[in-house]
Amino acid sequence: MQLRKRSMFAVLMVLVFSMMVCSSAFAADKVIKIGALFPLTGPAAVSGQNCVNAVLAAADVINKANPDINAPLAAKEGLLDGYKIEIIKADHQGKPDVAKSEAERLYNQEKVFAVIGCYNSSATKPASAVAERAKKIFMCGCSSSAALTERDYKYFFRHAPTDAIESKEFVDYIEYLNKEKKAGIKTLGVIYENTEFGKHAAEEAHKAAKAIGLKVVADVPFNNGATNLNSEVQTLKAANPDAVFGAALGGDYSLWVRTMKQVNWLPKIALNYCTGYQNPAVQKELAGDGDHFMGGMGYSPALAKEFMPEAIKIEKKYYTPRSNQPFDSDSIQEGVMLFVLAQAIEKAGSLDTEKVVQLLRTEEFPSVMSLSGKVKFEPGGQNVYALSVITQIKDQDYKTVFPLKYKKSEPVFPMTPWDKR
Amino acid sequence: MSNFLQVLIDGILSGLLYALVAAGLSMMWGVMDVINFAHGEFLMVAMYLCYWIGEILGIDPLFSWIAGGIFLFLMGALTYRLIIKNSLGKAAMAPLLATFGLSMLLKNFCMNRFTPNFRLLSGTIMEGKTFEVAGAIVSLPQLVTAIFSLVVLLGVYWLIKKTRVGWAIQATAMDKEAAELMGIDTENIYLLVFGIGGACVGVAGGLMTTYLAVHPEVGGLFSLIAFVVVALGGFGSIPGALFAALLIGLVESFAGFYVAAVVKYVAVFAIYLVVILIRPKGLFGW
Repeated sequence: MQLRKRSMFAVLMVLVFSMMVCSSAFAADKVIKIGALFPLTGPAAVSGQNCVNAVLAAADVINKANPDINAPLAAKEGLLDGYKIEIIKADHQGKPDVAKSEAERLYNQEKVFAVIGCYNSSATKPASAVAERAKKIFMCGCSSSAALTERDYKYFFRHAPTDAIESKEFVDYIEYLNKEKKAGIKTLGVIYENTEFGKHAAEEAHKAAKAIGLKVVADVPFNNGATNLNSEVQTLKAANPDAVFGAALGGDYSLWVRTMKQVNWLPKIALNYCTGYQNPAVQKELAGDGDHFMGGMGYSPALAKEFMPEAIKIEKKYYTPRSNQPFDSDSIQEGVMLFVLAQAIEKAGSLDTEKVVQLLRTEEFPSVMSLSGKVKFEPGGQNVYALSVITQIKDQDYKTVFPLKYKKSEPVFPMTPWDKR
Repeated sequence: MSNFLQVLIDGILSGLLYALVAAGLSMMWGVMDVINFAHGEFLMVAMYLCYWIGEILGIDPLFSWIAGGIFLFLMGALTYRLIIKNSLGKAAMAPLLATFGLSMLLKNFCMNRFTPNFRLLSGTIMEGKTFEVAGAIVSLPQLVTAIFSLVVLLGVYWLIKKTRVGWAIQATAMDKEAAELMGIDTENIYLLVFGIGGACVGVAGGLMTTYLAVHPEVGGLFSLIAFVVVALGGFGSIPGALFAALLIGLVESFAGFYVAAVVKYVAVFAIYLVVILIRPKGLFGW
């Protein structure tokens, strides 16, 4: 009898232990791995780290119960039937070849369900090609090269406005200034990094300028991470364009601004694509020297206060503790893409890639972190509601100046010369 | 004409800065036949040091370059004592790979401690100060850096050519065994060479914080150009480094303005290739 009792106890223990092991195995399985592929080192590392932090913030909103945030999937914990998002970080260093191999590693070895990335258009291009071949989802937040959504890919989705949209907005603003403020802007200079992003931005700038009869008098590509931009700025100064469109990331942006100060030259107006201009950390370092430059933005604390109150809650709760600054226009869009993907998964009710892709292609998704408040992708993957506004830096604060619907401040025009600041 | 003068001045100022960055590398390479892959990161460390001295203690880079020079002298000497010395005489690539490892360590340490953010000192004594020469604008911070470069280079040249220590360095570079037979402590000479090399780049880095943003990747292209300067000027030759750096600065500046900005580095590396094909020892090689 004693033996039987002992045997039963042993069997019971084995059963309990087995159940514990099984349940932990099941719990471990209830994870959706998402790759976050960004430049975590290299010239664009600051922006890359911010992008990862935005994705992590979005994952926190989805994984934890956040009844204080009025956003889809915020109130409950996780997705589907208790699935949690796990972000797998990867670094492409701003190099296209590394982006390609890291994308392969994420899909094949890490077995991620989707990848979000890559900030640099030049890295997004090969990484998303890997996804397309593998029939896996690639979510792109802020890479702005128009060419990315002209490939007619089926598994690629992009939130940001393209360089074409921004270029059109820039020349619309110039036309407005010429008409309403008698600005007399007749010539344009374009300075851009010699990469996929920069070259496409310049191409679109040329097209947009031609459309309104703006004469391009200087076209200045440069190598990113340069030791100096003396020749580049000297070329601009010699051509003396009324307006300059810039596409320079991070440190190159601050070097460009400082070099213009050094040679004591400014155009009447300087408009920037998604570049170092949008990074508050870069503006903080530039301090007063960054004033009066303009650029396209999808987010600023002032805009958020009025149009995206829930984004501010997410920023304060999950983003700023990581990045020590507010969202910037680039990083927030990467977070948006995780929210959109999570909503598609929830709606599909499973982790069937084809089902999720079908929903991403056809559905409209509410988005509390997008200026337009919603996201919908057209064939090719471009977000049809992509929206950006033109802002101007004043005392390190982004003031919206165009379109008039969003205008919050009178622009300083023309830019105040360096010796009069 | 003012454009020509501006481009000329920009080229000379850039060239003199490259010369100072490259001088230390030239000595290490010339004397010890060791390629220090962490040279760019030495520059970065000096920039961070002077940035933080400026930010925390409020000391201008115009003075804190001294700290940059001393700290990097010690760092160079320590690098030799702890890393190079232990890797010399082993596999042929060991010192090179060891310094590569050191470069990764320094870069990632700074990335981890200081984040990849760009840090720019503001409110420095020379910030934004310029003056005009015949219509060309000269940046005071860059001019002062260039003058310091010349002074430091002349000092190093004098040390090598006119002092007993310098003769010992030259002797060690020419024939280590013979130098030892003559009673020269080659170990100390190596230590000194690494220290002086570090000090040169430390001074350059310290002064650069007046006008360049500091970040973990800042040393990358500077070190690449320094390698080109050393190979072009001749291993171990200070006048060679000065001449090659000025040539590179001017080629970069003129090609960048008169041909196309995007080809300025192409022109630099093309000239380097041509010179190396014609004269592999470099222009002033030992």
